[in-house]
Amino acid sequence: MTSYLIATLVLVVIATLSGLALNLQWGLGGLVNFGLFGFYMLGAYACSLLQMQGLPPLAAMLLALLLTAAASALVSLISVRLSEDYLAIVTLGFAESLRLFISYEEWLTRGTLGIPNIVRPFAELVPTAWRDLFFLGFCLVWLALVFVVLQRLARSPFGRLLRATREDAGVAEALGKNVLWVRARSFALGGAILGIAGSLHAFYYTYIDPTQFTTILTAYAFMAVILGGRGSHAGVLVAGFTVILLLEGSRMLAGVIPWLDGSQLAAIRLSLVGVLLLAMLIFKPNGLLPEYRLGPRPQES
Amino acid sequence: MLAQLIFNGLVSGLLIALPALSLALVFSVLRFANYAIGAMVTTGAYLVYAFNGPLNWPLPLAVAAGIALSIALALLLNRLVFAPLRGRSGVTLLVASIGVGLVLENLVRLVAGNAPRGFGAEIARPARLLGLRVNQEQLITLVCVLAALALVWLVFRFTRLGRAMQAVADNPDLADVRGISRKKVTATVWALAAAMATLSGVLIGLDSNVDPQMGWNYLLPVFTAAILGGIGSPMAAVAGALLLGVTEELATLFLPPHYRTVVAFVVMAVLLLLRPHGLFGAKWVRK
Repeated sequence: MTSYLIATLVLVVIATLSGLALNLQWGLGGLVNFGLFGFYMLGAYACSLLQMQGLPPLAAMLLALLLTAAASALVSLISVRLSEDYLAIVTLGFAESLRLFISYEEWLTRGTLGIPNIVRPFAELVPTAWRDLFFLGFCLVWLALVFVVLQRLARSPFGRLLRATREDAGVAEALGKNVLWVRARSFALGGAILGIAGSLHAFYYTYIDPTQFTTILTAYAFMAVILGGRGSHAGVLVAGFTVILLLEGSRMLAGVIPWLDGSQLAAIRLSLVGVLLLAMLIFKPNGLLPEYRLGPRPQES
Repeated sequence: MLAQLIFNGLVSGLLIALPALSLALVFSVLRFANYAIGAMVTTGAYLVYAFNGPLNWPLPLAVAAGIALSIALALLLNRLVFAPLRGRSGVTLLVASIGVGLVLENLVRLVAGNAPRGFGAEIARPARLLGLRVNQEQLITLVCVLAALALVWLVFRFTRLGRAMQAVADNPDLADVRGISRKKVTATVWALAAAMATLSGVLIGLDSNVDPQMGWNYLLPVFTAAILGGIGSPMAAVAGALLLGVTEELATLFLPPHYRTVVAFVVMAVLLLLRPHGLFGAKWVRK
């Protein structure tokens, strides 16, 4: 039971990190990232492949984080002159292309065979019995770090600028702000967070293959952000727990409806995610915890 | 050889022309990118399959029944999801459509399972036409899509609802003032979108298989086609689709065929950098 609890908590942390990344890009910056799972996958693969080249786990993770940050910034630049809807499809296109590349370029990624034997950071220093708990601690440290950075950022001039470009990019531009640069930076930082989440994913499972990374990850992140309240980091923290608890809880359906097989059960759980997402959008668009704001809350635009 | 490739490209372009048109139509009238278009293609194909496979109806009848059902489904989704969200930002509607897609695709999985299925159509020898090898599926695609496009064009051009749709696309507020019923226009748009998605789902299914992934696999090419044409101009989406189909086919000369999606992405990225309003950027409504 303890190990199940630890495993669930690790998943909560990873999901929450993805949610926080999306919250920065979409919640604060208004930039839709449907290709979230692609950057996450890039982080996981970069971290694992660098490790295969002999780099220590932590160094591989840091490099992976820089790589996803750079990739994110570049992808955001494709939509230079466009509105947010285009960014959604551009990021999705990037993620799909990356997934195909990873699936077929076996010389680099071992394709569908996947990468086994990924080593967790400091694994050799910790006794086997404590390994999972120690890794949970490692994940929590990253979560705390990201949370503090984001929280400070949201209240900094850059956070205000980000919100300003979300509300009206034209006005921000007219005030002499370089909107493109603001967006590229927020995308890079979000990418770095997804790189962390992806690396933790690789460490946790110690084996990765392309089938682990699908749009479902994107859907979870959107659910966390919408449930938590767009723009609110604390909200995402609460929502990350709620989303994973719901998903884990729905596993119990197997006991209630025994004639369903595994894939049917998975289908029900995913439909449930969709229905909840829609219900939140329609009935509680501001989420559980409202965003930190200066001044009065404007109507939804 | 080259002529054959171009012909194949044009036909596979026709396969994405209808969903691309559907996407552009929803975008220009309802002002959001309907991410659920892939799931609508899949659901439509499975609805037709339900009549054609288990119930053993002849294919044309099954298509008619499937289209009727998918129109009903689209209108229901409009009532339940998109109507309550009207007036919210395009991004909110976009996120809602990802939810709708998730639900539709997984309901299909739940009911029909993951195994691919095929329509009951006899296999025929490819015909020779002007030195080109033409498969029976290609011929069916050609005829069906051209007929559907002609029909949509006639609706736009000659009916009151068609003109109303153009008016709403052009200026929703003005259309409101002129007493055009938003409700009716929205319903018509969804009905047309669902019908086109279903038809293309059947054609894609005839071309390869019906499986829960099929719409998803076409999502990126469909968006690329619509953006190529200029997403706010429905009929240009058709031209975008044809162009993309030919590009993808020609790309197989020097890229493995499983990288089609990558070709679509690269085409889109280059286009967005160079000519973000599409190749045929002029708005169709200003005639």
